[in-house]
Amino acid sequence: MTKSAFEFAEMHWLMDVLQSIDVGLVILDREYKIQLWNGFMENHSGLRPDEVHDKPLFESFDDIPETWFRQKAEPVFELKTRTFTIWEQRPYLFQFKNYRPITGRASTMYQNSSIIPLESIDGSVNHICLIIYDVTDTAVNQEDLTKANAHLAYLSQTDGLTQLFNRGFWEERFQREHKRCIRTQAPCSLVMFDIDHFKKVNDTYGHQAGDEVIRTLASIVRQTARETDICGRYGGEEFTILLIDTDADSATNFTERLRKKVAALTVTTNEHEINFTISSGIAQFSTKFTKHNQWIEAADKALYHAKENGRNKTSVYQLK
Amino acid sequence: MGAAAMNLILNEEQRDCYQEITNVAMGQAADRLARLLNVYVILPIPKVNMISASELHMALADTTINDDVSAVCQGFIGSGIAGEALLVFNDASFSDLAQLMKYKGPLDRHGELELLMDVSSVLIGACIHGIGEQLEISFNQGHPVVLGQHCHVDDLVKSGNHQWSQTLAIEIHYEIENVNINCDLLLLFTEDSVAKINQQIDYLLD
Repeated sequence: MTKSAFEFAEMHWLMDVLQSIDVGLVILDREYKIQLWNGFMENHSGLRPDEVHDKPLFESFDDIPETWFRQKAEPVFELKTRTFTIWEQRPYLFQFKNYRPITGRASTMYQNSSIIPLESIDGSVNHICLIIYDVTDTAVNQEDLTKANAHLAYLSQTDGLTQLFNRGFWEERFQREHKRCIRTQAPCSLVMFDIDHFKKVNDTYGHQAGDEVIRTLASIVRQTARETDICGRYGGEEFTILLIDTDADSATNFTERLRKKVAALTVTTNEHEINFTISSGIAQFSTKFTKHNQWIEAADKALYHAKENGRNKTSVYQLK
Repeated sequence: MGAAAMNLILNEEQRDCYQEITNVAMGQAADRLARLLNVYVILPIPKVNMISASELHMALADTTINDDVSAVCQGFIGSGIAGEALLVFNDASFSDLAQLMKYKGPLDRHGELELLMDVSSVLIGACIHGIGEQLEISFNQGHPVVLGQHCHVDDLVKSGNHQWSQTLAIEIHYEIENVNINCDLLLLFTEDSVAKINQQIDYLLD
């Protein structure tokens, strides 16, 4: 082969490769009119090159947000720099179907794209090339992983029976809030409460019924507490609620509301109708609680006091 | 001799040369950023160092004083020289950045990602291009990867199990006049790239 024949053949090969490579290639001029449209783009869009040639991109594909895309493409023209978009910004630029329409789980193809400047002979950039990559598998895996991690985090933080925070996670959150209280001195109250004579419930009606009582109580707690309050199952029939931005008086209102709701409630199981009550202890944050344990002890003391005074009661810890 | 066994040390002349090359490249990058945002960009002198895997965390921790950060990284390769560019943004910068970029949407996680991507495209692209131009190398750039949003600097790069022991790190701290925007660009070159760049530099110095 002579040199020029080889160069000619090489040119042909390159054209073939560009046409059949599994990556989308689009060339746009300064008016965003499509000048080149390779096989990948043709096959995935169903539009032949002659159907899109010299048509403005935003006309043929009106779901591409024009302002957004221009913001990415203008620096390529103006500054001769490459720019990129990733699927985390927008899942796709061109709405194509998943490359694996049968076994794939995403309905559309996730895409990353690069926009590169094409210099003219005089050094100015009058055309840009848009390169489209199919990243569906990566994106789907990443999303699966994120979901799985979120679920694992939920499982490791939640008590299975009540769906409240488990003791470990509740304490972690409590310690963080304790530090915040020390810093901000904002009023914050800790409530500890438990079910009166819970052993009797278990002994009389069985453990299944006992579990139902705990589950019902937890759902009342969830309904009564605000979204910002931190509720946890501390032990068997013992619960904790940290009321954010709440002084002891407001905490007493809250706890009394909870106590009355519980006292008026009847839990119905297959064979029995069960009534029960709760006793609560409240401790508002004080700077004397330099360690978070001291705060818990204070609420625990108040709870003990409520029990001593006949149960079905709320008691507030008094600083000496 | 394996790459790991080499203990690469930069001599003064080489270090100056790296600094000079970076100066020119980041000047170009700053110029583009300035044109894009219509602001004056303040440029300090880039720091050039050989650092070990364990020191990378320290280098990252040094970049932004404290607070949460968001970061993007992008690989580049060409003529046997390979590395990564890391752009670390202080999260406090985003509201000012949105104003400068005339970003209209809500400044949520997604809005911040848009800004992060737009600025990193310009800054990283221009810097890599500028360095390539001086070394007469045309680099290919991979796709940017979000290392994290609203995270602590320590969590950006997972420690341990690195395939390298030393890296050439170039740190550039960008500031914009009268605006609360702080960002750091870290250029990290692989060990085996360093010898190649040194060759190229020696060739250019002659």
